[in-house]
Amino acid sequence: MSLLASALALVRAKLVALATAPKRFSVMIRRAIYDVRTGKRTAWDVTKSVLMTLFGLAMVLVLLFPLFWITTASLAEGTRLFNTSGIFPDPATYNLDAYRWVIYESDFFFVDGDWGYPQLVLGGESGLVSFRWAGTDTGPGALFNSLYIVSVTLVAGFGMIVPAAYAFSRRQFVGRKRILYGYVLFTQIGAGLSIATLVALYSLFSTYGLTNNLFILGLFYAASAIPFNTWLLKTYMDNIPVSYEEAAMVDGASFLDTIREVILPLTKPGLAVVLIFVWLAGWNEFIIAQTLLRPENYPLSVELYNIATEGRFSTPWTRFAAFANLFALPVAIVYFAAQRSVEDGLSFGGMEG
Amino acid sequence: MASSQPGTGVSGLSRLRTALPFSSRDWGLLLVAPGVLLFSSFMLYPIFYLFYISLTDATFAGSVIGGGAELIGLANYAQLIGDSQFWTSMTTTWLFVAVSLVLKVFLAVGIALLLNHVRVAGKRYMRAAVIVPLGFPGIFTITVWRGMFSDARYGVFNTILGRYNEFMSSLSAPELLLFDVPIGFLSGRWEAFFAYVTTEVWLAYPFMVIIIVSALQDVPRSLHEAAMVDGAGALQRFRTVTLPAIKGPVLFASILTAATSFQQFLIPWVFNQGGPSRQNELIIVYGYREAITFNQFGLSAAILIVGIAFVGLFMYVAVRYGGLAEGVGDE
Repeated sequence: MSLLASALALVRAKLVALATAPKRFSVMIRRAIYDVRTGKRTAWDVTKSVLMTLFGLAMVLVLLFPLFWITTASLAEGTRLFNTSGIFPDPATYNLDAYRWVIYESDFFFVDGDWGYPQLVLGGESGLVSFRWAGTDTGPGALFNSLYIVSVTLVAGFGMIVPAAYAFSRRQFVGRKRILYGYVLFTQIGAGLSIATLVALYSLFSTYGLTNNLFILGLFYAASAIPFNTWLLKTYMDNIPVSYEEAAMVDGASFLDTIREVILPLTKPGLAVVLIFVWLAGWNEFIIAQTLLRPENYPLSVELYNIATEGRFSTPWTRFAAFANLFALPVAIVYFAAQRSVEDGLSFGGMEG
Repeated sequence: MASSQPGTGVSGLSRLRTALPFSSRDWGLLLVAPGVLLFSSFMLYPIFYLFYISLTDATFAGSVIGGGAELIGLANYAQLIGDSQFWTSMTTTWLFVAVSLVLKVFLAVGIALLLNHVRVAGKRYMRAAVIVPLGFPGIFTITVWRGMFSDARYGVFNTILGRYNEFMSSLSAPELLLFDVPIGFLSGRWEAFFAYVTTEVWLAYPFMVIIIVSALQDVPRSLHEAAMVDGAGALQRFRTVTLPAIKGPVLFASILTAATSFQQFLIPWVFNQGGPSRQNELIIVYGYREAITFNQFGLSAAILIVGIAFVGLFMYVAVRYGGLAEGVGDE
């Protein structure tokens, strides 16, 4: 919970900084005008700065063009997107019909958009209290498959990453260096490798009847996330001085107390980054899910791909865009709220040593 | 502090304890073991198993364990060497890695320099904006690019090229500078290759920009000023101050992104499944298709083992020359 609170504080700080940006910008311009008037800077000097800034701005716009295009596309349901009038839809025709389609007709939340609500059943056949979806004929949709996979990935991942990172950082044991070295080898280059092993996994899983199993898939994503995140969290813990724990020990804290009161609170930023990376490992992956699962268990990533490839010439871009935005936006928002820590996490290896 | 007390426990147990290759201080191993076990069973074991499959004539998933597959030694590898499809895939993959790497490095260094320049106002916000692509799922961004590279007359890039043509004709430019629209971006070999490279560069530049910017910010301003006092021009300052500072990080990021490009699967798969007519199958796509589409599990495993061997080479180079494993041997 406190993790959530600190994340919210971070988001708020970012929003405040963004909201006050125009003021700082106007101050900067007034300063430049003043400097030119009093002769501190020449007009040409200021012009050069303006031109460079405009150039930077143009570059940003070109680089972000695909994301801008897909966002405007999601607002253009009912108009012909690829037509003579240009790349972008006419703003006068903007509407939210595509989002309405995602919510009420696609399989995003519930299959065919037939919404239901959770219901607890007392005294059912399977134990005292059981749980079921009521009010829907078709059942929960892709979102719930994704969330289920991600929960398994998170629980299994955190259960294995946090203790292991602690042991690597603070304990000496047989094989420590060798295992750590092995992890480092796999840190940055894991993703494609899992596709390469997919053929072996597929034949193993289909022999043991483990395909089409969301739980196993969640475990698999956790396994693929372990080396990088363990190594990342270990480097975070290395930066906590051992003297803190020793001081706590002297004050009579037990071993578990030092973990709870010293290690975990001080590793919080690291834990947040690991949370994001492990979440992404389960949320984003597509090809393994598509190969191992059957349609009723498809997560959001596979559903997204299916919308895009329904027909070769008739991809419903507006619906695809709306679906994709709802799929990607929550992740992107969290990602950029924690941008600084994520950047540190991405560039930590091999930079300072 | 609390160590085992010899002699007080059951003698058999303590004897067992001393006979084991680890002592009680090694209990940290217990915390690490579950992760190692999970990782090994889902990642390492399949690689060994893949190697085993590559030595058999397995044709479909069930035939490997359920019988019907026999060990045939290195016959699959021998077949690969004689297979022109394998060499097409290998050449295309390396070309893809090389071309996209060169473009990535130039683009990323350019962006990083520009967004670190004293004359650019609001560069902090621009830096935050340019790395946005990193925050979106690969399947999402790649499918968006597929849409923009649409073969249709009114696809995004074809529309842009059409506008460009109109503009150039209005200047009465020679025919040579005009494009023959619509371009079938996904249906021609080199057009599709160009589309792959563009998308790959777009996906990978944010990571490089992050690393180069953090290296640039470590260069003390006084160094630039000293060079300026000495009368060094912008180009000379770049060569003597900036370049040495970013060389290491750029090399490091190059190895890593090259390894990722080598394993690129989603771009060719989503765009046109490595087409047209299997000419652009990058190595992982090639292996995947042989197994899933053509039911050649043995051959597919051999292809993927070759791919993994190259990835291993990348990892070795990264660790050996990129200093990736510094910090393993500390304490």
